[in-house]
Amino acid sequence: MKKKLVLMIVLIFGLSIALASCVTTAPVKPTDKNFTAPKVTLESFEIPQYDGYWYFSKKVKPTKGEAGDRGAILPMSFVFNVENRNPYPILLNGITFTVVFDKEFSLVTYNNQDEYWIPAGKTDQVRATTLITARSALLSLLVTGGFKLKAKGWSPWKALETWWKGVPEGTTPVDITECSFSFSADGVQKAYPYELKVQ
Amino acid sequence: MKKNIFAKIFVILLAVAFVAGFSTAAVAKKIRIGGIMDTTGATSDVGKDYAIGMADAFKYINSQGGVNGKKIRYVWFDYGYRIPEAITKYKMQKRLGSVAIMGWGTGDTEALSPTVNKDKIPYVSASYSAHLTDPKKTPYNLFFSSDYSTNARSAITAWFDKKWPKHKDFGKRKPRFACCYMFASPYCSAPIKAIKDQAKLLGFEIGPDQDVSLFALDTKSQIMALKKFKPDLLWHGNTTMSVAATVRDAYALGLGTDWIVNNWGFDENLPRLAGKAAEGVMGATPCAFFGQDYKNMDLVVSSAEKYSPGVPIGKRLIRTVQAWGDALVLWEAMKRADKAGVDLTKKGCGPGIMKKGFETMRNFDIGLGAAPISYTATDHRPATGCLIQEWKGGKFQPVEAVDLKKRWPQKWAKEWLGW
Repeated sequence: MKKKLVLMIVLIFGLSIALASCVTTAPVKPTDKNFTAPKVTLESFEIPQYDGYWYFSKKVKPTKGEAGDRGAILPMSFVFNVENRNPYPILLNGITFTVVFDKEFSLVTYNNQDEYWIPAGKTDQVRATTLITARSALLSLLVTGGFKLKAKGWSPWKALETWWKGVPEGTTPVDITECSFSFSADGVQKAYPYELKVQ
Repeated sequence: MKKNIFAKIFVILLAVAFVAGFSTAAVAKKIRIGGIMDTTGATSDVGKDYAIGMADAFKYINSQGGVNGKKIRYVWFDYGYRIPEAITKYKMQKRLGSVAIMGWGTGDTEALSPTVNKDKIPYVSASYSAHLTDPKKTPYNLFFSSDYSTNARSAITAWFDKKWPKHKDFGKRKPRFACCYMFASPYCSAPIKAIKDQAKLLGFEIGPDQDVSLFALDTKSQIMALKKFKPDLLWHGNTTMSVAATVRDAYALGLGTDWIVNNWGFDENLPRLAGKAAEGVMGATPCAFFGQDYKNMDLVVSSAEKYSPGVPIGKRLIRTVQAWGDALVLWEAMKRADKAGVDLTKKGCGPGIMKKGFETMRNFDIGLGAAPISYTATDHRPATGCLIQEWKGGKFQPVEAVDLKKRWPQKWAKEWLGW
């Protein structure tokens, strides 16, 4: 009986080590030097919900609810292909980018720290959804793009209306700038810049 | 028979323990820290760089082993400078188990303050409102920088010391002073009482305030109103974009005044936006500009390159350095609290972080051109003065490092705390 028990312990211990080594050991160990930048491309861009263009100031009494400075939403959804060109799995652990309309007007900076494992040699898809409103865009536009608007002779309201109609129809140029994707693998942390033309 | 069953159970448990011990599933619990930032709202001209800088700082901290070997999970959200959204984001951060929160604006930080202090969650904000510095009222509000009132008092004092004696009317009359800021903004209005108090103390004649929106592109009417008063010195309490608009209009209309600006209106973008009009503008700089030669600046710059390579280095601002200032004081507080036995992975560790961390700091040096930082149980003003710099000849140059505590020790100790 005792012999059987000892044998079982040895067997299970051996199996455990073998199993654990399968789980943790990659054929190639990630290093700072052998880490290859994953390839990131844009698979698709869509407006998941469209509500037209409108704006109400807080002076307007709503039918229900409270008055306020409120504008139409403009959600934007970007699906990225992230190709892991490394011989080991990598963890995508951060995405940051700014959405630019008409080549020079930054409207929203997106940030996401969700984690996605991408197997060696595989391509994963990641969806990033931003949401701005005509109100939030107005404020952002005035403090970051006010002088540019003035130089072009554009009114912020005209710009917003053009964009709220043009982005869903594909007539307003949309770009992704200041974009970084962060990855890690076995303690190696990397971030890479990407510039992507959306439409 | 019974013995046999126990032996089998023991063997199975042993096997599970071996597998768990060797596998990656055995992950140590992380310290959760939340962030509430403005990357799309009314202060996004300065908020975006701060938010990105904060994320860089926590990545750097983790690369150095986190808090005494315990890694940090830093998760931040944009709230668009909307107070109701800041409140919902705060509640979410609390639900997520954040043990400390990196906040942003004055309006939301002050609105959240009663809740934060009830919840006992250290709230390290980018609002340096002096209203947040008295631990009797706001024991869990913190920041690394000199507060806005200290900035404002230091700025007007520096001008009075260094510029007024060179004025043609020096010794003949009182210097004339007025303020431009957005009246409705809690950030802009926070130090106005203090700067007017300092103006009286120094013997200024005070003129009418001008309401300048944070979104102002045209401020000619305010400049025309100021022309009647003929100020020698104007305080601007807004952020960079509207400061640039006002300075430009004043230059174009020949107002002929000097400017002192609060820290959020004085950065690398000011000369880019205001051009020639920015020459001679002075401002409060509670830390160095991005890339200036100070201790630890190499870490800030290399982390910006490493962790946010999508943003060109030439576009990074002092806001990144400010974010690092707040991250570094929290890091130090957590390291001290952890060493003292506080479990930072558990909810409710805020009092430990505060008492065994922050409030043990005396003249702690974070580098980055910031003043040495102290917090006590009775005083959360981190610094006793501020370095005032000016934009001159194409670069920022020091004017004077004002130490209010040294200069007015009685007032500093007994009168000026909390406003």
